[in-house]
Amino acid sequence: MNAAYLAGDLRALRAAGRKELRTIRRYPTSFVGMIFWPVMLPAVWVLMGQAYSGGGDPQALQAFADRAGTTGITVFVFVGYAMYMWLSSLLWGPGTALRQEQIRGSLEAVFLTPASRLVPLFGPPLTNVIWVFMNLLVTGIGVWLLFGIVLPLEGALYALGITLVGVPAMYAMGSLFGAGVLRFGEIGPAVQFVRGSLALLCGITFPIVMLPAWAQAAAAVMPPTYIVDGMRSALLKGATFADLAPVAGTLLVLAIAFGVLAVVVFRWLEAGARRSGMLGRY
Amino acid sequence: MDEIRAALALARKDIRNVSRYRFVVASQIFTPLYQGVLPALLFGAAFAVGGRVVGLEKTIGTADLAGFIFLGGAMSGLVATAFWAMAMSFRNEMEAGTLEPTWLTPTSRETLVIGRALGGLFWFLLGQIVIFAIGILFFGLRFRPELFYATPAMLLAVLAMVGIAYLLAALVLVIKEANFFIDTTNFLFATASGVAFPVTLLPGVLQPVAFALPTTYAMDILRQQALGTRPLFDPALEYVALAVGTVVVYPLGLWAYRRADRRIRVRGSLNQY
Repeated sequence: MNAAYLAGDLRALRAAGRKELRTIRRYPTSFVGMIFWPVMLPAVWVLMGQAYSGGGDPQALQAFADRAGTTGITVFVFVGYAMYMWLSSLLWGPGTALRQEQIRGSLEAVFLTPASRLVPLFGPPLTNVIWVFMNLLVTGIGVWLLFGIVLPLEGALYALGITLVGVPAMYAMGSLFGAGVLRFGEIGPAVQFVRGSLALLCGITFPIVMLPAWAQAAAAVMPPTYIVDGMRSALLKGATFADLAPVAGTLLVLAIAFGVLAVVVFRWLEAGARRSGMLGRY
Repeated sequence: MDEIRAALALARKDIRNVSRYRFVVASQIFTPLYQGVLPALLFGAAFAVGGRVVGLEKTIGTADLAGFIFLGGAMSGLVATAFWAMAMSFRNEMEAGTLEPTWLTPTSRETLVIGRALGGLFWFLLGQIVIFAIGILFFGLRFRPELFYATPAMLLAVLAMVGIAYLLAALVLVIKEANFFIDTTNFLFATASGVAFPVTLLPGVLQPVAFALPTTYAMDILRQQALGTRPLFDPALEYVALAVGTVVVYPLGLWAYRRADRRIRVRGSLNQY
């Protein structure tokens, strides 16, 4: 009986993913943004880096290297922004999927189906993975075309591996946000705040040693910190499999922690919604 | 006089609308701080040698990182006000279904932009006061008293941005689904104005675009007066370029806006979205 339920839920999960994919296909202009932003945003920061370093002043570059562990400002920034774009697509997509269903009035209908409540929570992230890999591809091409930097193949493969290992942790974090935003209500400010905070904490554009100690402690429990660090190590410092294994291990632990937390928060909100009848309200 | 009253009523309406959503107000004020100013400060500080950003000093003539970034943020906010609050709000009215009734009032169509400009500038000024107060209290933000000499340049920049807003509103009325267009052009316009880095660092082919924008000169004059940065050109020449840019862009924007108004009335496409 349980196996039959599980098979049914897996089918529902696949159907939820297919629905999201179809919605993405209906809005092809969003693909233009997926090429423009991952290239233009970091390009501006690279030029800012040139301004702050006095066009490559050795003292300034050494100061940056002491804090960031590298003088490769361009790749440093582009990798950071690949994570920023991932956070954007995660928070605006799966992170707000439940709330969007609530606004459209379809959340109640979804909850009345016999599928597990966890299907709408974890279904939308499935298709979002496509954006992540497209984003990485665009980043690699952008850094080559604009700045003439060819990423090392081995480093790129390791960076891809770290991204794959980081997927469960990122989407568990996105699901936690998605469940929370149901209660909070206003999507826009919530996305801006969470994305901005994570961008500040996780070293998107600057080395995290620049942060005060309490912020560095907070960064240490955020999956993006480890993914960005792992990717930079692979691409800029020639890190090997053995160097990256602890990063991968930490990401798996964080995936479990955030996943459990997302389910607990979602169950708690769902129970509250049943009592108050808030699902149809927005 | 009636048009002034209508513009003030529009501004009051916009201010009231936004103030109903407190999280949105807080987000409008603080988002530029934690998504733009703070990361830029920390990034810049990563290049500091003995607490001094020697690289920036080499590039622009001052090591005042906070001043450079906060003033860039102010100009970026002014540009965003023109793009989003003045021009894109027409799209919001389209979606709310209130654009057609607004168009049927006896108010001049030009006043609709002016009213939005006043409402947008209110939120812009409020946001800048809060951000600068935070900068002064927590980030050692200090300006030279000569800052106020840049007032005429900033007033000209505001006028130029209203002209740009007319131009953008015309495009919004015609293309309708303008979110991506406004988002990207806002970013490119602000970047080409030198809000994040000196325009001399732009690739050569883009520099003529930067020098064609009035905001580039306003930005440079503001930083010269407030921080003592090295000017791009002779300051008098920059004032002339800013004034000429404003004189060109304002009527150009107005002309485009009137053309768009005529086009949507002839085609009956005002209520389409």
